[in-house]
Amino acid sequence: MSTAIDTPTDVAVEVAQGNGSGAARAKRDQTLTGWAFAAPFTVLFVLFLVVPAIYGLYLSFTGETLTGANSGLIGFANYTEALQDPDMWRSLGNTLWFTLLSTIPLVLLSLAFALLVNLGLPGRWLWRLSFFMPYLLASTVVVLFWAWMYNPKLGLINGVLAEFGIAPVAWLQDPNVAMISVVLTTLWWTIGFNFLLYLAALQNIPEQQFEAAAIDGAGKWRQLFSIVIPQLAPTTALIVTLQILASLKVFDQIYMLTNGGPAGSTRSIVQYIYESGFTGYRFGYSSAISYLFFAIIVLVSIAQYKLINRRSAS
Amino acid sequence: MSLPNSFPTPPPRTGDRPLSRRRLLSGAAALAGGGLLLGCAPGARNSAEELTYWHLMTGGDGTVMAGLVDAVNAMNAGFRTTQTVLAWGPPYYTKLAMASAGGRAPDLAIMHASRIAGYAPGGLLEPWDLDLLAELGVRESDFPPLVWQKGLYDGQLYSIALDTHPFVLYYNTEHAAKAGVADAIQTMDSPEAFTEVARKLQRVTGKHGLSYGYLGDGSQMWRLFYTFYRQTGAEMKLVPGSPAQVDEAAAVEALSFVRSLLDDTIATRSGDGGTATSEFLHGESGMFFGGVWELPVLKDAKLPFDARPIPTLFGQDAAYADSHTFVLPRQSKVSPERRRHVYQLVAEILKHSVVWAGAGHIPAYQPVVRGSEYQQLKPQSNYAGIPAYVNYDPDAWFGGAGSDFHKYFAENVQNVYLGSGDPAAGFEGFVQRLNKLLDRPQPV
Repeated sequence: MSTAIDTPTDVAVEVAQGNGSGAARAKRDQTLTGWAFAAPFTVLFVLFLVVPAIYGLYLSFTGETLTGANSGLIGFANYTEALQDPDMWRSLGNTLWFTLLSTIPLVLLSLAFALLVNLGLPGRWLWRLSFFMPYLLASTVVVLFWAWMYNPKLGLINGVLAEFGIAPVAWLQDPNVAMISVVLTTLWWTIGFNFLLYLAALQNIPEQQFEAAAIDGAGKWRQLFSIVIPQLAPTTALIVTLQILASLKVFDQIYMLTNGGPAGSTRSIVQYIYESGFTGYRFGYSSAISYLFFAIIVLVSIAQYKLINRRSAS
Repeated sequence: MSLPNSFPTPPPRTGDRPLSRRRLLSGAAALAGGGLLLGCAPGARNSAEELTYWHLMTGGDGTVMAGLVDAVNAMNAGFRTTQTVLAWGPPYYTKLAMASAGGRAPDLAIMHASRIAGYAPGGLLEPWDLDLLAELGVRESDFPPLVWQKGLYDGQLYSIALDTHPFVLYYNTEHAAKAGVADAIQTMDSPEAFTEVARKLQRVTGKHGLSYGYLGDGSQMWRLFYTFYRQTGAEMKLVPGSPAQVDEAAAVEALSFVRSLLDDTIATRSGDGGTATSEFLHGESGMFFGGVWELPVLKDAKLPFDARPIPTLFGQDAAYADSHTFVLPRQSKVSPERRRHVYQLVAEILKHSVVWAGAGHIPAYQPVVRGSEYQQLKPQSNYAGIPAYVNYDPDAWFGGAGSDFHKYFAENVQNVYLGSGDPAAGFEGFVQRLNKLLDRPQPV
C-alpha cells in the first residue's frame, strides 16, 4: 500500500541511522508529526462524535427534556418504556421491512444494469449517465418529483394506469401500498451508486479469463456464472454491507413523502427517534431508543463481518 | 476481509501543485482578516437597536408581514427589526424551542395560540408586562375575550394575538345563483340542508359540489372535524395523568358526516390541498372548505366568490380557528431598553394590522376591526364575527398547529375520510394515542 516518498522526514530518518539515540528521537519526531497531521481530524472527531455519543448514552439514563422538567437520573426506565412501546416496535419493524424490500432489488437490479451497460451497447455513456444521474439529486428534489407522480388525482402514474383502464392507486395514502412507493422512489434515486461500483468492478475483470473460458467452449451464460459473479464477490459483499446500513438509516424520503403515514405504516425508527426528541421534547427517551437501534446495527455488522470472513476464508 | 478491487484508483501523487502551501496560507489569513473587518461594520453603521424577530409566514402572508416590519422600521423609532422566516410547522417550532431552551432566542417570535400550552409551562416563554402594554395602547379590552384568554397561563399573559384565522366556507356566487341556492347557502342549518345545497351545486358544475383537500394533511382533517365536533356541543379536554375526556358519539357523528360528503360526487374522496384549490379555482366545484389564509390566492384568480363562516349544522355556533400571536421566547440576558422596543414593535404592528387583514385573517386588535377600512374589506368582514365563538385546539403540550397531535389524528382518521375505515374505530385509535401521551412522563 505505502510507497516510498522523498519527504524531509524520510531523509532525516536515513541521516539519523548513524547513532542509536538519534534514531529513537527521529522515531519520536515522526510519531509527533503523525499526530500533528491527524490532530485536526482527531479533535473534530472527538468533539463532534465521541463526546456526543457518550453524552447520548448518559442522557438515555436520564429523564432529560427540552424544558428541563423531570430531568435527572432514572436508571433503565427509558429502556423498559421503549421495549414496551408498540410504536417503537412498529417503527423498528417498518425499518427492517424497508431494509429488506430495498436491499434486494438495489443489489440485484444494480448488477443487472451494470451487466447490461457493460455489454458495450452503443451510446454507453448515455446509459451510464441515466442510471447514475438520479443519485446526484438532493432528496428534496427527488421527493418533489415523486410526490407529484404519486398524486392520486393529478399524478402521472395514475394517469398512465388510467390509459390502460387500471383503477387509480392511492400510492402514498394506502397503508398497504405506501411502503412500496417509498421503496420505488428509493430504488430510482439510489441505484446509481451500487451500479457504479459494480460497473467499475466489471471493468476490472481481466480480459484473458474470458478468452480462456471461450477457448474452453464456455458460452456467455457460463462465463457469467463461473467468472463474472465470483469475481464480483468482494464488491457484492461491500455493496450489501453499505446498502443494509444505508437502508437502516432511512429518514429523509419517508419524512418528506409520507411523514411516516398513513397510519404510521412508513414511520422509520430514525423518524421515531426524531419525533420523541425534537417534537416530543424527550431527549432522554429518544437517546434510549437510539442506543437500542445502535445495538441492532452493531449486531448486524458483526453478523455480516463473520459471514463474509468465513466465506473469504473457505 | 479482502478489500474489493473495484474502487477507482486514487489520483497519482506526483502531480504538479499549482497552489503552493504558502500562498494558500496567506490567502486564508487575508480572508480571516477581511472577515474581522466586516464583522465590525454593522455595529458601527448605525446606533439603532437591532431586534431579531422570528416567524413562519411565507407566501402571501410573508409578503404582508415583511411589509409591516418595513413600515415599522421606517418610523425610525430607535430600533430596526430583522425578520427571520422559517418553514411552517415542526421545522419552525423545533428551532424556536431549542433557541429558547438555550436562552439565545430572538427578541420576538410568532407562535400559534394553540402552541402556548407546549411552551409556557416549560418556561420557554416570558410573560408580557400588562402595564407596559397598556402604556403603548394595548389593553385586554382591545381584544375579543376568548382570543385574549387563550394567551393566559397561570394567571399571566404569555401571548398577544395578532389575528384569528378560522376555517371558513367559500362559495362560487355564479354557480350558487345558477343552482338557485344563493339564499340556502346563507340559511342552511342541518347536515341534510348542507348536503342538498352541495348536490344542487354538483348538478350545475357537472363535477363536484364541494372541494375539500385533506389527503396527507392532518391539520386539514382536524380543522373540519373539530368544527363539526364542537358544533354538537361536545368538548375535548386533555389532562396529563388521566385519560382524554372526549365525546365519542359526537365524534362519530362529525366523522360520519364528513365521510358522507366525500363520496366522489359531492366531493372527491381523495383530494389533497392542491387538488381542492385548483378545482374550486377552475369553477369545477361550488363550495370550498378552507382557511382564511387561502383568500389571497382565490382573489388573484378573479373568481366570482364569497365567503362565510362554516354554517352551524349541529346546533351550536362553533368554528375551528387558531391565532398568530406574539411571544417573548426566553433569553438568558434581557436588556430592558431592548424589551421596550419589542413592545413598541408589537404595538405598532397591531395598530397597522388592517394590512394583515388583507391576507384574509381577522385582526385581533378591535380598534382596527371597528375601523371603516376593515369593515369595507370583502369578504373578510363577512366572517369577522367568528372570534366571539372561536374554538382553539385542546390545550396539551403535544398539541397545536402542525403538531404531533394533528399528525396522530391523520394517522387514525385518514382511512375514515377515505371511506375504508370505520368512524368509531378511527376515533378510538386516536383517543388511545392521546391516552398514551397523557400517561407518559410529561416533558413540560
